Amino acid sequence: MKSAATKHQEIADIIWNKEEKPGCFRIGLTCSKDYANAIPGQFITLHIPGNLSPLLRRPFSIHRLIKKSGRVIGIELLYKVVGGFTEKLARINAGDQLDLIGPIGKGFTISNTTRKVAFVAGGIGVAPLIFLADAMVETDINLSDSIVFLGGRTSDDILCASVFTSFALDVHTTTDDGSLGEKGIVTQPLEKWLASNRPDIIYACGPMPMLRAVADIAKKNSLPCEVSIETIMACGIGACLGCAVNKNKQTDTYQHVCIDGPVFDASVMKNYLWS
Amino acid sequence: MTQKNLCVDIGGVELKNPVMTASGTFGYGQEFDGLIDLDRLGGIIVKGLSLLPSSGNPPPRIIETPCGMLNAIGLENVGIQAFINEKLPFLNQFSTPVFVNIYGKTVEEYADLASQIDSVADIAGIEVNISCPNVKAGGVAFGVDRRAAADVITRVRRKTTKPIMVKLSPNVTDIVAIAKSVESAGADSISLINTITAMAIDIETRKPVLANITGGLSGPAIKPVALRMVWQVAREVKIPVIGIGGIMNAEDAIAFLIAGASAVQVGTANFINPRATIDILEGIESFMNKNKIDDIAELIGSLKI
Ligand SMILES: Cc1cc2nc3c(=O)[nH]c(=O)nc-3n(C[C@H](O)[C@H](O)[C@H](O)COP(=O)(O)OP(=O)(O)OC[C@H]3O[C@@H](n4cnc5c(N)ncnc54)[C@H](O)[C@@H]3O)c2cc1C
Ligand SMILES: Cc1cc2nc3c(=O)[nH]c(=O)nc-3n(C[C@H](O)[C@H](O)[C@H](O)COP(=O)(O)O)c2cc1C
Ligand code: FES
Repeated sequence: MKSAATKHQEIADIIWNKEEKPGCFRIGLTCSKDYANAIPGQFITLHIPGNLSPLLRRPFSIHRLIKKSGRVIGIELLYKVVGGFTEKLARINAGDQLDLIGPIGKGFTISNTTRKVAFVAGGIGVAPLIFLADAMVETDINLSDSIVFLGGRTSDDILCASVFTSFALDVHTTTDDGSLGEKGIVTQPLEKWLASNRPDIIYACGPMPMLRAVADIAKKNSLPCEVSIETIMACGIGACLGCAVNKNKQTDTYQHVCIDGPVFDASVMKNYLWS
Repeated sequence: MTQKNLCVDIGGVELKNPVMTASGTFGYGQEFDGLIDLDRLGGIIVKGLSLLPSSGNPPPRIIETPCGMLNAIGLENVGIQAFINEKLPFLNQFSTPVFVNIYGKTVEEYADLASQIDSVADIAGIEVNISCPNVKAGGVAFGVDRRAAADVITRVRRKTTKPIMVKLSPNVTDIVAIAKSVESAGADSISLINTITAMAIDIETRKPVLANITGGLSGPAIKPVALRMVWQVAREVKIPVIGIGGIMNAEDAIAFLIAGASAVQVGTANFINPRATIDILEGIESFMNKNKIDDIAELIGSLKI
């Protein structure tokens, strides 16, 4: 297991920033070589230099590492335009600069003995799961028995399906409106698949209702499950204590998403996740 | 270029420069390790500490608002003893004076905290946060009542010889009256302002955004209010005043010094740029160079009216 990279602040150059689907962009930024040790599920925070509106930095998962002749030269993020910051981010061009802090937080655990995995993503939640799949392929984990469930409201929310298929992964798609794949929610095909399959672990990232449903299913099937959780953050470095979730009644303490997560073992988050 | 003097005295503690970190925005310091050189700071004020560990308020605890943010962290902290045993040793690697911010629900709790800190050599001073509710007085903040505020400081003063900085709440009608009251009760310095009580509402759900309903507003939005209060207090008290509120850059910090602050604390800016304190320090130095100011004392309280 490689040792985790320590977080640091740097000025990153934008390599590209392109719209993949309406309202959804991928942005490539240069970063220090330390990101070679970033763990899938870890995130970064961004600030647009000199721009104080919106005020706070915004967190984004590392979507992929950008490599040149085998060396990490940058990171790619996948983001959805939802408000002030992401609107400004969408207008940034190659050659512009961003203030970058990372890599931050606890990522997914990858075990060498893993053979079969279920990846479950809701919309933009797919972002860290591609980095995770990349890392698993890199550690020679054969993903051909594994499966991906991608859910979204419409076909515009279904992202990265082709990346998973390029890893020989079976991809199941659901949309609320039926504009792509099966009509319905992502947990329906997951439950159907689990009736005759037993993965070593479920990795999930997406909106809270989806994570709750996935965690419930994992519990019902006694399966290990890791989820990446989002909260609003002020600092992203454990200083403000604004990102508290999931009070443990025994110890009377909260978890803090930016330092204890964003990836959590679903059973640790039981008060928060299980219905 | 001549050597500039940036040293300031804030009531019994000599700082190598006037730039400190504000309580609750700098964790226990270690969070910024690797991001900035803590040795360059004028002073470090750690997260508010209580006698016993406290888990704080339920989430959501924070929300961004125009030019600022609301927080209702609810003073989540590890407790004074865990701080002394587990957090202070890290801070002691640096030459920067460490101030412990304390809060209690009763006067006795404040006094108890002060006596536990008094014997700890590595703590340079105590910042007393009087903005919290006084349980015995029905939840009204100590800091909004002249007598209650003085009472806390008198009791803390009896328990410690360490310099006492009193942090004032802006949620009062007459900030000068409170300032004078704590000065006569034995405060060595006054820091202001704490956050301004505020709220945000989600109009779709018609619910308050913060679980605590109300929270404290900080950031650039409060700077003009803070500046006004610092100016009002600094001209009325003899002890040093430390300016806090929306300081984002060197220009902001210099305005507070001109208004009469002997030093400043940087809060929310640490979240946006962890290097904010260092950038502010360097900005003050270049302002002094540009304006041929050799001693920071020439700036402090130099407002021309
Ligand atoms: C660890 C982590 C990883 C993330 N990874 C990604 C990613 O890879 N791609 C991506 O597009 N987004 C990601 N997000 C969410 C992203 O941070 C928010 O979309 C962004 O902060 C919105 O900023 P804004 O100013 O554009 O919108 P705002 O105006 O701030 O918010 C728009 C809406 O989004 C909600 N929101 C704001 N911030 C967050 C947040 N941090 N978490 C959840 N909801 C929020 C607000 O309540 C509001 O309803 C991640 C969040 C976290 C905590
Ligand atoms: C997240 C957060 C936590 C805070 N916690 C404390 C605290 O524990 N004790 C205290 O006296 N002030 C606390 N404050 C107030 C700040 O120290 C400061 O007085 C205030 O934020 C105004 O300064 P600013 O605008 O530069 O942030 C906190 C502020 C924020 C934003
Ligand atoms: S976002 Fe500040 S502690 Fe997690």
